[in-house]
Formats: sequence, structure tokens, C-alpha cells
Amino acid sequence: MGIRHIFLGAALAVAGALSGATAFAGETLDQIMSSNTLKVATDPNWAPQSFLNDNNEMDGFDVDVAREIASRMGVEVEFVTPSWDIITAGNWNGRWHLSVGSMTPTTARGEILDFPGVYYYTPASAVVHNDSPYENVADLNGAKMAAGISTTFELYLQKDLTIDASGVPTFEYQITPGEYRSYETGAVALDDLRLGDGVRLNGVVGSLPAMLKAIENGYPIRVLGEPLFYEPLAIATDKGDAELNAKLSAIVDEMRNDGTLKTLSEKWYGIDYTTALN
Amino acid sequence: MLHRDTVISDIAVHKPKVMAGIFAAAFVIFTLMGLKDTIFGALMAPVIGDPAEAGFSGNAATGLVLAILLTVNIVLIAFLPLRYQIGIVWLQLLLLFLTFFYSFDLKLSFIQTKIWFMITQGLFTTLYISAISIALASGLAIIGAVAKLSSNGFAFAIASFYTSFFRGIPLLMQIYLIYLGLPQLGFVIDAVPAGILALTLCYGAYMTEIFRAGIQSIDKGQWEASRSIGFGFGLTMRRIILPQSMPLIIPPTGNQFIAMLKDSSLVSVIGVWELMFLARTLGNKDFRHMEMLITAAMIYWMLTVCLELIQSRIERHYKSPQH
Repeated sequence: MGIRHIFLGAALAVAGALSGATAFAGETLDQIMSSNTLKVATDPNWAPQSFLNDNNEMDGFDVDVAREIASRMGVEVEFVTPSWDIITAGNWNGRWHLSVGSMTPTTARGEILDFPGVYYYTPASAVVHNDSPYENVADLNGAKMAAGISTTFELYLQKDLTIDASGVPTFEYQITPGEYRSYETGAVALDDLRLGDGVRLNGVVGSLPAMLKAIENGYPIRVLGEPLFYEPLAIATDKGDAELNAKLSAIVDEMRNDGTLKTLSEKWYGIDYTTALN
Repeated sequence: MLHRDTVISDIAVHKPKVMAGIFAAAFVIFTLMGLKDTIFGALMAPVIGDPAEAGFSGNAATGLVLAILLTVNIVLIAFLPLRYQIGIVWLQLLLLFLTFFYSFDLKLSFIQTKIWFMITQGLFTTLYISAISIALASGLAIIGAVAKLSSNGFAFAIASFYTSFFRGIPLLMQIYLIYLGLPQLGFVIDAVPAGILALTLCYGAYMTEIFRAGIQSIDKGQWEASRSIGFGFGLTMRRIILPQSMPLIIPPTGNQFIAMLKDSSLVSVIGVWELMFLARTLGNKDFRHMEMLITAAMIYWMLTVCLELIQSRIERHYKSPQH
């Protein structure tokens, strides 16, 4: 009796869903301006770029940059915190408008996301346990290495990293890992590394600022040799809104030229990472 | 024993062979663990000398003392009434656990600064997501169960396809599929609704089977009698079948709720600020992951204990003669 009606309803709902599939082609910029809110995605698992501070609020370099971008657009900022692989999956559908998440503009990512502006560059380095015998980067060939999943560090270890941005020095793959593991975040990899050399890992590749922060917090690890590569880090938008990209691009340039980015970088890292490159 | 036994046999502690076995096993295990460099070794210092130089005999002596303590402990506890036995064993296991955590060198002051936020934001979110999901899943389960029991081929096919699919793939994958996949169809849903939807669909599938079993357990005569006095399908279900199957359905549903409470941690991947998300994130800045993970674990555990108590009350209620 009633069951048939339920299934008829369900069938109609499915049909409706399929026909509605073309929705959401509107301009992201219009959406930001009309809602007066810039929704920014950032993963708070990456201190000091983005984390929860002592008051349990979003804080960090990326968060400050996002706040500044929103205020220059004249809108409120709101943060959403999907995990990193969901941000990099693209197809945001207006759930959030912008990622300020220290993302490296690789060619593969460029196919699903737009990168309106590079706002700073960080050195990527390899770290090892204090008790390990490794002296330089080349010693890590054949070692058990790790990095965060879907990061450029992972791509570097898999020798699949193409950075498509101007002003970036070229690099060579100096490490051929004997065994590679990817972790949910780089921080978890460091927790495994601290257990001791070779207990689970021999080394981790990650961003130098984050590594230095870990060492400051008493992790028994040390940085090995010179940086492996410099990664440009950009803000990202969902594919296709040229107007929004032009606006964001102008804002990032403006922030670099008037020294805002430099000030923020020095506030969070103690070093100006925004222009300097060796 | 499941029921009070009428066959009298001697209890285990009265059997010398059993106790000797326990003692020997404990002695070997404690010795092999090499405990002379731990706090136990330090306590044994008057006997074994400096733990660092004691060697194997130091380990063996420490192991012997611990094995004796353990065996005496077991014998003493065995003399107590059952109720005290249970209480004391719980207490001792709990103390062991706390010692284990204590050895991690946790920073308690850090936990203190974060725990309130974990409860107001994390626990609250976990609870309301689970509560909404279990309510929706119950509704879904009734429909699913009725469909699975119906003689309509379409209804049965759809319902069995549903249970088969959603019980057959991991919940984490369902969360990703719903959060990333639904927008492809034009439905852009936020993280919280996506999480609730995934939990509802997954647990709805499990609970469909619980409801189906509950409904099926009602004697055929009930159905026939109800139909013969002119009740329709809906009325028979509402007034005759479901009220009688509730005592069978509610206890396992409570179990599902407890399970869901913990599985809701999976929605942290799509950025919902529930307990698990905060456990991973709050300790990040200060590199205090262990503190936050253990705190969240304790909160989950205490919550589950509370729910288990409620669950056992409900079960007792339905076992009482009025039902």
C-alpha cells in the first residue's frame, strides 16, 4: 500500500536530482559580494601557517593573510576546515571560495584549480632523528622516508614534482627512498620519526619552518643539509572565475608591494619568506 | 556461567596446579620484560644492588617479586564476595592504565586549558550529530524492514540493494562519496549534513536488519488475528506488530547508538569540529598530540560508559514482567 507511494516519491526525487546536475555555474565573486562573506578553506593542522591558538581560534600566517585579503575585498571572512585532500580535490561548488593554505601550484593541481597569486616561498628540507648517522641528504638514499599525503614533499620523494611558477630555482631529486610512507599530515610523520632512527622511519621531508617549529618544541630531530627545493606557495580558487582571480591577484601584489606580507612573514616565521630566494 | 550452576566444582584458586601455572607464566613474562631499569627495579635496589649493573639476575629477581605479588593479589581477591571482586579488579586495571598513560610524560596543564573547549565544542557536536543520525536511521530502518518483508518485488529489491551496498562499503568511503559526489549531481551540501547523511544511510542499513528480525519474531497468529478483525496493513503494523517487537529492537538499537557515537569520529575528515577533529588539531601547534588524543579517548570512553548504563536500564525495563 503506502510503500508504492514512497518508492514513487523516491523515483521522482532521483529524477529531479539528475536533472538538477547542471546547477552552480554562477560567478564566485558575485556570491562573495552578495553574501558579504569570503569563505576560506584552510587545514588547521599545519602550525605555524594555520592552527588553533590558545583561545581555540584559527590563527597563523595563512589565517592572517586570508583575513587581510578579505578586509581588502571589503567583506567578512569565514573559515572552513576540510582536510587537505578534500581541498586539493577541487570541485568546491561554492562551499568555500578561496584556499589560503600554502599550496604549491603544481601542473597537476593547475588542471583542477586556479592559482591567482604566489604569496610566499618556503624551503623544503629533510629531517632525521638526532641519533641517526646521516650526514647529508645523499645518505638518505634507500632509507625509509615519509611525508604528508598529497603534499609536494610526497611528490618530491616520488620524483613526480613539477612546479609551474615563475621565479623558482630549479632543483634535482637528491633522494631515492628505499621505502616510502605517506601520512595524514606531516606532523604525524614527525611523531613516528621521534620514536627513534629506523623504528618506523629514517627521515621525513617537509617544510623547513614547520620542522624548525617542531625542533623548538623539543622534537629530537635535526635538519639535514641545504633545502631540497623551494616551493612557491599560492592562494587557490576553484577553476574558472577569471574576474575573482584578477582581483585576488591584484590584492596579493598590493600586499607584497606595501610590505604587508613581509611583516606577516616576519611575525610568524621570524624570517622574510615572501620574496627572498637563494 | 550463564546461569547459576547446580554442579558444584572447586574454584580455580583452590587448584594448586592452576595457581602454579599462573605464577610460572607471570614469572617468565615479567622476567623477559626486563623490568630492572624501571621503577620496579629501583624499588628492588636493596636486594639486587644498582639496577644498571644487576644484569639478568636483576631482571629475574624483579620478575619473581612481581609474580609473587600478582599471585597473592589474585588469591586475596578470590576470597572476597563477587561484587567486591569485580570492583577491585576494575580499580586495579584502571590504575594500570593510568600508570601506562602517566609514563608518556603528559603535560596535564595543557589538557586543562583545552578540555573545556573539547567538551563544549567537540563533545556537543559529536552528540548532536549522532543523535540526529540515529533518529533518522531508525525511520529509515522501519521503511527498509517493511520493504524487505513485503511481497512487492521492487520494494524488496531496492531495500536489499540498499542494505547490501551500505553495509558493504566502509563508512569512511561513504562519507567521502557523499561529500565529494553529491555536488556532482548538483546538490552542494555542507560538511555537517553530509556527515549526518552518511551516518544515517550506513546505520540505517544495519538497523534495517535489526528491525526486520524484530518484526519477523512476532508470531504469525498475531498478524492473522489482526487482519481477521479488519485491521489494514498500517494499523496492524502500528498497533499490533511494532509494539510487540520493540522490546527486541530497542536494546540492539542502543548498541548501534554507542557504535555510531564512535564512528562519528570519521566525519572529522570533512572538517566538522567534533571530538576527533579537535583531538587531532588542538595539540598541533604545541606538538602535544598524545595529550589531546588521550583526553578525547577518555571523553569517548566515559560517554560510552554512561550510555551502557542507560542501555542496561532499558534492557531491564523491557525484561520486566509488564512487558
